[in-house]
Amino acid sequence: MSFPYRRPLHWILLLTILLPLGTMSGCGRSESRKQAPEAAAPGKEGEKVVLGDMIEPFTPPSLEELEKEVVWLDSPVVDAMEELRKVKESEPALVSVEEALKMRNDSPEANKKILSALSVLAPPDGQGVNYDAQINRSFPMDLVTTNPILYSSVSESELLSLTSFGLFGFDWEMIPFASADSVVSWQTSEDRMYDKVVMRKDLVWSDGKPITAHDVVFSFKAIMTSQVPVPAVRTGTDELKWIEAYDDYTLVFFHKNAEATNVWNLNFPILPKHVYDKSLLEDPTLTTSEYHANIEKNPVAGGPYELASWSRGQEVVVRRRESYYMNDGEQVRNKPYFKLVRFRVIEDANTRLLALKSARIDESELEAEQWQTQTAGNDFYRNNTKVSGPGWTYFYIGWNLDTPYFSDVRVRRAMAHAMNYDEMINDLCFGLHSRCAGMFHPDSWMYPENPPKFIEYNLDKAEDLLDEAGWADSDGDGIRDKEINGRVVPFEFTLMVSQKPDRIAICNLLRENLESIGITCNVQPIEAAVFQQRVHEKKFQAEMAGWGTGTDPYTNENIFATGEERNYGSYSNPKVDELFKAGMKEFDSEKRAEIYGEIFNIIYEDQPYLFLYNRNFFYGFNKGLRGYRFSPRGPFTYSPGFSSIWMP
Amino acid sequence: MIHYLVRRMLLALLTLALITFLAYGLIRAMPGDPLLLKMQAMNPGEEMRLEDVERMREMFGLNDDWYVAYFKWLGNLLRGDLGNSLSQHASVASLIGQRIGPTLLLTMSSLFLSYLLAIPLGLYATARNGKFDERFISTTLYMLYSLPSFVAALALQVMFAIKLNGTAFELPLFGMTSDNFDQMSFGGKFVDLFRHSILPVTCFTYGTLAFYSRFIRANMQETIRQDYIRTARAKGAGPKRVLFHHAFRNTLIPLVTMIGLELPVLLSGSVILEQIFSWPGMGNLFFESIRQRDYPTIMGLLLVFSVLTLIGQLLADILYAIVDPRVSYH
Repeated sequence: MSFPYRRPLHWILLLTILLPLGTMSGCGRSESRKQAPEAAAPGKEGEKVVLGDMIEPFTPPSLEELEKEVVWLDSPVVDAMEELRKVKESEPALVSVEEALKMRNDSPEANKKILSALSVLAPPDGQGVNYDAQINRSFPMDLVTTNPILYSSVSESELLSLTSFGLFGFDWEMIPFASADSVVSWQTSEDRMYDKVVMRKDLVWSDGKPITAHDVVFSFKAIMTSQVPVPAVRTGTDELKWIEAYDDYTLVFFHKNAEATNVWNLNFPILPKHVYDKSLLEDPTLTTSEYHANIEKNPVAGGPYELASWSRGQEVVVRRRESYYMNDGEQVRNKPYFKLVRFRVIEDANTRLLALKSARIDESELEAEQWQTQTAGNDFYRNNTKVSGPGWTYFYIGWNLDTPYFSDVRVRRAMAHAMNYDEMINDLCFGLHSRCAGMFHPDSWMYPENPPKFIEYNLDKAEDLLDEAGWADSDGDGIRDKEINGRVVPFEFTLMVSQKPDRIAICNLLRENLESIGITCNVQPIEAAVFQQRVHEKKFQAEMAGWGTGTDPYTNENIFATGEERNYGSYSNPKVDELFKAGMKEFDSEKRAEIYGEIFNIIYEDQPYLFLYNRNFFYGFNKGLRGYRFSPRGPFTYSPGFSSIWMP
Repeated sequence: MIHYLVRRMLLALLTLALITFLAYGLIRAMPGDPLLLKMQAMNPGEEMRLEDVERMREMFGLNDDWYVAYFKWLGNLLRGDLGNSLSQHASVASLIGQRIGPTLLLTMSSLFLSYLLAIPLGLYATARNGKFDERFISTTLYMLYSLPSFVAALALQVMFAIKLNGTAFELPLFGMTSDNFDQMSFGGKFVDLFRHSILPVTCFTYGTLAFYSRFIRANMQETIRQDYIRTARAKGAGPKRVLFHHAFRNTLIPLVTMIGLELPVLLSGSVILEQIFSWPGMGNLFFESIRQRDYPTIMGLLLVFSVLTLIGQLLADILYAIVDPRVSYH
């Protein structure tokens, strides 16, 4: 009997449908609160959990001893909102808000005008702000966790930037500072081995308990407990030797080495100690026990907003937290501008755009194609306007240097000559992105003063280089080949790419260009999980992907230094390794910039990647919103970021 | 009958064990790794150390051979524990529990509607065979059957949520409830859920409806050519009585079997429609858990689907004996 196979899921179910019969009770709502008693819980049964077992034992000196030994230098404690206000004063609006809202964003000039007007900040006294306003935003995927140390996806970092407490932050240029909202003073020792932070005394968790230095120490230890499955934040935190709370508000961070990047290791999410100190030892997964499942749904917040409700797969709602900005009846911090922030989970990009057009959400990132073709009409402009800003994310084609094809730099340079960049930028990227020469954005402080000249699209040069490298068509079949270890190897390789049409199109462009010079390139769109496994095991020949930007250029060591974890293509240049080391030790910012600039130039020379383009950010905002501004990572996750957005 | 049922159920348990064993092997043989995926975050500042990956792999039992892991999973299952999701910080049972309701709401209403409309449509088409209105209905149904649901979904969204925005005919673009759902009265909640379900249920239903009504018509066409129908007509039974009393009752037999087979579909939901309408159902959960290589969640869902398939088949067999007097189990 045939069956209506209209739903693709059926194919996956085929296995079960084809086989015969039976009965057993399933798992319904009744079981939903039931907890795994022992076994399925990750973490071995009976194994004792030791808080902070990954920290080397260390006896810190007393504060008096330390004060005698150390010369302290002041480090910046910044009110990001105030800083932004100063910057805005020097950037006059090019048009009025009314004019900006009437404009169509159809040119870079229009974009500049609209942004200059709509980035207007609310006055310091909050006059004219609609504090009862609610903003509707969206998550492209469901939230995984509300626990700040377990986060791994974009949805969580958006949420946690509103609900979690931290001592440090960074601004729209990704310059780090201690946040004046939580810190009174921050001092760094002259030898860069210690950082001393005095916290404010008016900080409280959403359950009314004070936020103290002991919470910071506890969080450090929790992150450094081997049985706690921390996905992202352990890196960096593990560079700290110790953190000591000398009283409820005074903290000293002990570093392992004196490095320019130490400041980034101070910045990790803080957990409320009183909530987790017993339960963590009983259930180090922070997930399995009934207690932790309950905390997941009702987390104790330290940030300006707290969780109001969370329906998985549907929405996450946070509300303004009075105990964040009021203390003993006095306002001690800026009052957050929105009463309620609602994140709707909308996975489908089309639905998201329709939701924006019909004002069911108030902001949304737009894909380049949506920016170009679906947001130019009245249906979009009735409720919204759109703006774009430079993004430091870049896309590339990475070569596996362990393969016989790409071990030779001449071949890699030939590849760079074989890419039609104009067609890529103008046709495939709608002219909205810009070609890049490396991992740093031209706007960034580490971009070289004398950047390399772009390798031009020139098939003749590509052919010369390939001939030089010994790849010639010896058997006349139209495909270049080379004798390697007595075997004639044709130049045929596979280029992996994720299943995104715009990226596949770029790979196909290169494939066509290569075909005309006698190289067979098989473009293979591949699922994310398999892609990741192959690059990780270095079982690939070429891959197209992109990297977002870290907050500091040292994070690139992990990608380009010899033998590093994300150096999938096995690129190795001792000079680059040495420069990365030097960059960590250099404290003078100009000299540091020179070091990273040099790395940039060497890498372009060596071409471990065929660098493609920097991806810009495109956003649609409801006409009621003001105060948005782009950072290299988009308009939200920096300081002040979302906190500066308001509704009149 | 009881003897037969007991035998069937024992056999079913064995089958279930085999299905899950095979499925577990297949799932673990898929390339890809749940932990490596987390490393794919775009931001180079947020890397995951290989030592941590290794540590978590050990914790989650991913270093065990798949058959060892299977028996651990089975052992936990027998104690009533489906394990914890690898990609969401929650137990598999709670994840499935949260998704079952919304999925059932969609699929049950869709199934109910399909049968409710398909039977009269099919019968009407049989009675009016060859006439203009029958041709019209059949062609329309055939076209609907071939119209992809995601196209229809988008068209309906643009029509009812955007173009009719602000009018009395406006329908929600996505989601299952309105923002102020919790404050609504019982009646208000019912209306709200109903309005949110209209578009997804429509998209869910029209294809199945087209299929069933065509199925009924085809079956009826065959039945009314049978000798006993001619006999019925010859002894003077009216066309209505022939159609309902004689022909339709026989067409019911395969229809009943199909209800049994529909059971697993009821819970599996639909990946595409759930994504488009942001409907928190099982289809999406299944798809995501496969994408994330979330083995415990995939297994939990497969178990539910398998059990329902088996129940569905058993049910179909029992119903078969009830509607067809020629069939009996001894």
